[in-house]
Amino acid sequence: MKYSSLYGGKVEVIPKVPVQSLEDFSIWYTPGVADVSLEISANCDESFRLTNRWNTIAVATNGTRVLGLGDIGPEASLPVMEGKALIFKYLGGVDAFPLPINASDPDKFIEVIKCVEPAFGGINLEDVRSPDCFYILERLTEELKIPVWHDDQLGTASATLAALINALKVVGKDPKEVEIVFFGAGASNIATANLLIRYGFDPGNMILIDSQGTLHPDRPDMDSLMLKNRWKYELAIKTNGRRVVGGLEEAVEGADVLIAASRPGPGVISRDHVSRMADSPIIFALANPVPEILPEEAYDAGAKIVATGRSDYPNQVNNSLIFPSVFRGALDVRATKITPEAMIAASRALAIFAQERGISETYIVPTMQEWEAYSRVAASVASELSSQGAARFPASYDEELERASKIISRARNLLESLISTGIVQRLSG
Amino acid sequence: MERVKIRVADISDVERIIELVIRQRRLNEEFDPLLKTSQSLVEAARSYMNEAIKGQRSVLIVAEDAGKIVGVLKADLVDRLFYEPSIEGILRDFYILPEYRRKGLGVRMVNEAIKTLRSLGAGLITAEFPSQHRIAVEFYNKLGFRPLISIYARQAEES
Repeated sequence: MKYSSLYGGKVEVIPKVPVQSLEDFSIWYTPGVADVSLEISANCDESFRLTNRWNTIAVATNGTRVLGLGDIGPEASLPVMEGKALIFKYLGGVDAFPLPINASDPDKFIEVIKCVEPAFGGINLEDVRSPDCFYILERLTEELKIPVWHDDQLGTASATLAALINALKVVGKDPKEVEIVFFGAGASNIATANLLIRYGFDPGNMILIDSQGTLHPDRPDMDSLMLKNRWKYELAIKTNGRRVVGGLEEAVEGADVLIAASRPGPGVISRDHVSRMADSPIIFALANPVPEILPEEAYDAGAKIVATGRSDYPNQVNNSLIFPSVFRGALDVRATKITPEAMIAASRALAIFAQERGISETYIVPTMQEWEAYSRVAASVASELSSQGAARFPASYDEELERASKIISRARNLLESLISTGIVQRLSG
Repeated sequence: MERVKIRVADISDVERIIELVIRQRRLNEEFDPLLKTSQSLVEAARSYMNEAIKGQRSVLIVAEDAGKIVGVLKADLVDRLFYEPSIEGILRDFYILPEYRRKGLGVRMVNEAIKTLRSLGAGLITAEFPSQHRIAVEFYNKLGFRPLISIYARQAEES
């Protein structure tokens, strides 16, 4: 609170061209800029080369589900969007523009985003309530010619997949065989289940649980779901091959993995739940600020690997490992979209990065301090998008690795030099 | 889906059909508050189906998968006093369990019902469903149906 008022926000726009005298404006602005405009007018894609569009994204929200705070309105979401923009710049070198939009109606929101598309090289959706977020993401991905990402869905899903690949390696289980229980069926778990299926996990071996219990095709509210939440409905049909009816207690019986993204703990998942699972249980308790079960409690009940969203425990499954670098890679090749394959490539890159350093029960994903991970993920995303024909300017893995490292370190150097010259004041106790 | 059999229902199917009829009514309820289901829904569904199966003017088609009834379609024959063709077959109740949808089963059931209705003299086939049910609108449009008569509703309080 104190700092927000001291600094008056977290990000600002600064020039990236030299201005040594006012005459220079004749280059950067009129009359010099007219030719550039005409060039772009002849070919819109030139806007990605001749302006900062290539590196600019919107962090867009309608404020309908901000953090765990609910529908607090677009203005109140601004500090969160600014924080996200700061992370985008610092970890990914991405210029992110906070963009709360006063439109809780999904169709209106979609129209606004479509109207501002020319300003941006990508759209990061944030804090939009479920199931609106599925519909909005689906339509914008279809209708825009720039990447659209909903971090609460896709960022969490990619980070979770990366962590799960390694967790299963550590305990020596085959992704095709394992039984996975998803506790909570909101934006992140629905996206994670879908990404895991894409990756090759068997949907029949998955059970999703929402506030009404396990999802399965015979549930009495299926028709209501079909009309109101088609994404959950489709998973209810595909998953739960054993037709487990009941709640968490029934679902965890013999399960190998429990992925919880439900409500803050502790005590949402009990020791008893953990002890009902198969050998070497893997628990991802991802609720913030307090995980559904505290790691010490989960280990005590027999968990082999525990991951949370928190940085003060090992195995932090955090979107920040994914979104800055996914956008870095996508923007650098001027992508038209981010495909599920690119997401899987991101997860794999992150998992392999950790494997090279030696994975263990307490190290299944890189930490946020491991800078090299970001450019590795960016390079994997860029080369995957290039090979899929989703890039305006395709690039190889090596090309992008070098470019991403440069851009990301420039962003960090920029902030460091602003601090060291006193332009940006240091935090005082 | 080939293994799902489509056949005319008999009296022994009634108990198993009722659940589907109830689910359909609850689905209708989603579309409009004026389709709110009544307290006696279960009993009503049972006598409605018993009557249909015994009567001469109804056709009852079911879809069966390994002994489980997974879909039901009930149609009625009605005389048209003023129009040609003079006998109408109305598809009134139609429900398929979620995991059996979008696999062509509905079309097979409708075709089976039309075949039976034609053999009983129907020259016109119509379908009834809630106006807001867009999935049904699309389904029947695809099968060549078009809107014919509208039913508009309001509550009977004083205006």
